[in-house]
Amino acid sequence: MTPFLRNILVVARRDFLSIVATPTFLLFLFAPLFMIGMGALGGFGASQLADSARGTGRVVAVVGPGDVEPLREADARLRDALPGGKPATLELRVATSGVDPVTIAQEKGRDTYAVMIGPLASPRIVEREANSRSGRYLALLATEVLRARAAGSIAPAAPRFESLTRGGTSIAAQQSIGFGAVFVIFLLTLLLAGQSVGMLAEEKGNKVIEILAAAVPLESVFLGKLIGLLGVAILFIAFWMAMAAGAGFVALTQIDPASVAQAGASAPQLAVAPATGWPFFILAAFLYFVMAFLLLGAVFLGVGAQAATVREIQMLSLPITIFQVAMLSLSSAAANAPGSRLATIAQLIPFSSPLAMAARAATDDAKAVHLLALGWQAIWVALVVYLSVRLFRSGVLSGRRDWRFWKRTKDVAADTASRR
Amino acid sequence: MNDFSVEAKGLTKYFGAFRAVDQVSLEVPTGSIYGVLGPNGAGKTTSLRMMLGIVDPDAGESRLLGGHSPQTVRHRVGYLPEERGLYPGMKAREAIAFMGALRGLDWAEGRHRAASFMSELGLERVIDEKIRKMSKGMAQMVQLIGSIVHAPDLIVLDEPFSGLDPVNQERLEMLVRRERDRGATILFSTHVMAHAERLCDRIAIIARSARRFEGTVDAARALLPMQVRYTPRTDDPALAQMLPAGAERRGEAWQFPIENDAVEPLLARITASGHGVAGLSIVRPALHDAFVHIVRQVDAGFDADPEADAIEESEA
Ligand SMILES: Nc1ncnc2c1ncn2[C@@H]1O[C@H](COP(=O)(O)OP(=O)(O)O)[C@@H](O)[C@H]1O
Ligand SMILES: [Mg+2]
Repeated sequence: MTPFLRNILVVARRDFLSIVATPTFLLFLFAPLFMIGMGALGGFGASQLADSARGTGRVVAVVGPGDVEPLREADARLRDALPGGKPATLELRVATSGVDPVTIAQEKGRDTYAVMIGPLASPRIVEREANSRSGRYLALLATEVLRARAAGSIAPAAPRFESLTRGGTSIAAQQSIGFGAVFVIFLLTLLLAGQSVGMLAEEKGNKVIEILAAAVPLESVFLGKLIGLLGVAILFIAFWMAMAAGAGFVALTQIDPASVAQAGASAPQLAVAPATGWPFFILAAFLYFVMAFLLLGAVFLGVGAQAATVREIQMLSLPITIFQVAMLSLSSAAANAPGSRLATIAQLIPFSSPLAMAARAATDDAKAVHLLALGWQAIWVALVVYLSVRLFRSGVLSGRRDWRFWKRTKDVAADTASRR
Repeated sequence: MNDFSVEAKGLTKYFGAFRAVDQVSLEVPTGSIYGVLGPNGAGKTTSLRMMLGIVDPDAGESRLLGGHSPQTVRHRVGYLPEERGLYPGMKAREAIAFMGALRGLDWAEGRHRAASFMSELGLERVIDEKIRKMSKGMAQMVQLIGSIVHAPDLIVLDEPFSGLDPVNQERLEMLVRRERDRGATILFSTHVMAHAERLCDRIAIIARSARRFEGTVDAARALLPMQVRYTPRTDDPALAQMLPAGAERRGEAWQFPIENDAVEPLLARITASGHGVAGLSIVRPALHDAFVHIVRQVDAGFDADPEADAIEESEA
């Protein structure tokens, strides 16, 4: 091991241990629980809302007694074959004299999207919104009944269904995998790399910085701090992955075999795969996370090293966060348009490159390009660290007046004052 | 290869318009104990930082351990900064091993040496205590051990004695001597003369940013004339004519400075005069006096030169 690497590891080890071996770290580690809790609460509420809404939505057909059964059958046939969201529940009523579709549409307690009344050949359809799907659906049902009546009974087609088990992942699904990767990497880096902004404040505060600066090159101090924090981040992620896997396993053992088999039946749906295949994609996404983390962490660390006070640190981290969000929108736009010029730009700009390249791994099966991209990003990590160190050296180590670290000691000031 | 562990030439540092260090050169012979003396704010710390490559000089250069640039021999150097600092959450043993590891020492070996150093210096009770629970002086001893735990060839200590009680000062002196006997070169700064006088083979005095003296402690003391303290047996006012012009009467005794070559003639005159000798001492002044003398001279020079003073004033 080269001395430079060893220095990095010594610093990283210290930082890692000092972060992990504190009670606050537990709070940090479990912070996502709050998020999950809130999310679950919100999701539960939303699904409740959706459920109750689904129960009350309806379309109504007020028709002659002979049309009720054919309509019901037509509804059963068509409802499941329609792509997209299912039509609202069909309510059938036998026409009596003096019914007013508008009154039905305005009945309390239920959402009525459309009401059809009159003979099937020329019905009157009252809809809540013009040209709504519900209105069309009622018309379609009427036509279907008329057509069946005219054609007599035809044996329905008897298809044999075969499912594509592999290789059939649609571009759209891959794009959403790509987008998911972009978002997850972004969220993790933002949450975890942001911690690095205050890391050098500790050394400046307790004066250890001079010991470090004397003993090892500042580059290895900066890199060591980044890698220590990266270790914390990986621990954090590994912990939550293990939790998720554990929860999944427990859930599996709780469920009875029959429903597991049933879940297996829907497995083909799960078989969407990124273009490079899952193992490669996950590895690539992890490496891109590391790169994104190091890049963003280096920027935060460098900026934080310049700050003299905690307030300055907080003020300075806002512009970086905004910059990072800009990079997120660039990369997600790129994820939605693979192969476009925008995508290429996003892959080249070093700060969006990890995100955009992770998205690319989902949609493009070229693999060698990722090595290139990782190298490119690594160069930028080195560059940012180098620049931060240069700035730090020229600012702090040349002793600008406002730096606490080289601030004259009190007795010096007193001495100069007394000499006057 | 040569015999100097530190060779600094013309080190100069500006803070804004203020010249904190002005053309300071220093050559520390390998295997010696070397003191950098100077009043507060003289530029000692800044000079040491430049010598070690922590701060870049505006002019001049520094070579360590036989012509190497400071950055390339870090693992052979130990440094105790003036601004003491340790991670408060670390245990003493770990802190020492950490500082050793930074300089390339194996962790396990560092922990091992930490324990033996600490027991030797009367700190065995707090080997596994966190730094934040220690007194300032204890923490300073821990940091000191941390800066020498990797057995460096060059040890640089910035004001190592300040903040220590007399017992610990004594231990530190012992430690410094032992490290020198091991073969290390020790360079330390201080404004307390007693330690320098006891320890140093050579000293440099820095005052008002520049080096004002370099040489052995004896050479520094030789800058001032010897002091005579003479008590005659008889009390005769006429005696004053026999003594040099500056002689003062203090009770029974007369006190006056004397040049080297005037000692024997004086003795002859005293013997011949018949006033007798109830007490007589001829001693070199202490380093303390030499130091104060040099610093006063420099300050006087500055007061006579208002322009130089103006720069100092505006910065202060
Ligand atoms: N970072 C700094 N910025 C401005 N002036 C400084 C800085 N560090 C030291 N000085 C000034 O340089 C002079 C020398 O300081 P220093 O080397 O610490 O003196 P010493 O160690 O001899 O007490 C002092 O006048 C001090 O005010
Ligand atoms: Mg000093």
